[in-house]
Amino acid sequence: MNKSLLKENLWDNNPVFVQILGICSTLAVTNNLTNTFIMTLSVIFVAALTNVTVSLMKEYIPRKVRMIVQTLIISFFVIIVDILLRAYLPDISKALGPYVGLIITNCIIMGRAEAFAQSNTPWPSFLDGVTSGLGYMWVLMVLAFFRELLGFGTLFGFQVLGSGFTPWTIMVMAPSAFFLLGGLIWAVKTIMTMNELRQCACNDSTTKK
Amino acid sequence: MRKDSLIYTVTFSFSITFILVLILALASSFTSKKVEQNKRIAVARAYLLAGGIEIDESSDIQKLFTGTFKKESPGTEPLRADIDGNKLIVSPFSGQGLWGTITGVIALDSTFSRIIGVEITSHSETPGLGGRIDEPWFKDQFKGESIEEGIRVVQSGGMGDTDPDNGILDGITGATRTSESMQNIINKQVGLLREGHYE
Repeated sequence: MNKSLLKENLWDNNPVFVQILGICSTLAVTNNLTNTFIMTLSVIFVAALTNVTVSLMKEYIPRKVRMIVQTLIISFFVIIVDILLRAYLPDISKALGPYVGLIITNCIIMGRAEAFAQSNTPWPSFLDGVTSGLGYMWVLMVLAFFRELLGFGTLFGFQVLGSGFTPWTIMVMAPSAFFLLGGLIWAVKTIMTMNELRQCACNDSTTKK
Repeated sequence: MRKDSLIYTVTFSFSITFILVLILALASSFTSKKVEQNKRIAVARAYLLAGGIEIDESSDIQKLFTGTFKKESPGTEPLRADIDGNKLIVSPFSGQGLWGTITGVIALDSTFSRIIGVEITSHSETPGLGGRIDEPWFKDQFKGESIEEGIRVVQSGGMGDTDPDNGILDGITGATRTSESMQNIINKQVGLLREGHYE
């Protein structure tokens, strides 16, 4: 159960490149690895706790106001993250600026609360939140890796490419995330299709025998 | 009571909102002192950095600040200080950026001919684009920059302008509006200080 959830959310049903959710933040924050990491970590935290809370309360939430209550719970955890960052990690809070607040509108969290936590018990919901967040994290980190490397010649702020390197301005701007994400989705879908074809071929050969 | 009834829905919505907001209010008030202190130290640090004082992790910011500026905490007035035998004037500034107010601290020499340093204390520019005004390569361009005719932020390589005598700074790639705002804010503040607006 848990293993399949992990594979499901990290690959087969990845929130970013299969469900195409959370694209707004994918475009916005991924030109810098450090910001991307903190942001996605916050998303994991919020997604997991929101899922648990929604799952615990699902019996009591009236159906008519269910979405608005989910949004309320999400906002609650996001503001908690914001308060904690501001008090204990002021530098990161400053670097992320308005993006912490924007986690509220991250469709992945709402999507998992509605699609999974509403109909599951707290522990699987928690795992689903964490793994969905991880699925979001790895895709964004891959994008941020290329964007920071090519856009600034740095990784996590450390100069990696020599001074002779000319930064690709386009990588710093939002459009490059479109190209990279498009390329990534293309690559991933190709691998998925190839895997499927191979499986079909195997099944065919086994049935023929 | 039926779960779909109006009364239940209203009562539920009201109580859940009440509880969550209450927790938030408590969390916020418990950390408010810490947040205030962080802010004060961040501003004091900006004053010291703008004045060209080296600080590291272990420095006692509060003590350094009081020692240098002979004041407990920074206010809205420019402060005069003697750093390494150089008389200088350090002033807070603020102005409109692309998304919100940019505030910071600027240090000038006492003849108003050169900038000693600029620090940003708060801004809400786009992270990764305008937000880069807070990065060292951008702020370092201000150090020692001649302001006889004001500064000009121009579009060039995006690597920083190294000549302190030309009054020209390299803008941030992809953040032309923020770069322009910085130019206007700094020039305005320098003008105000030069005219003795605060004397």
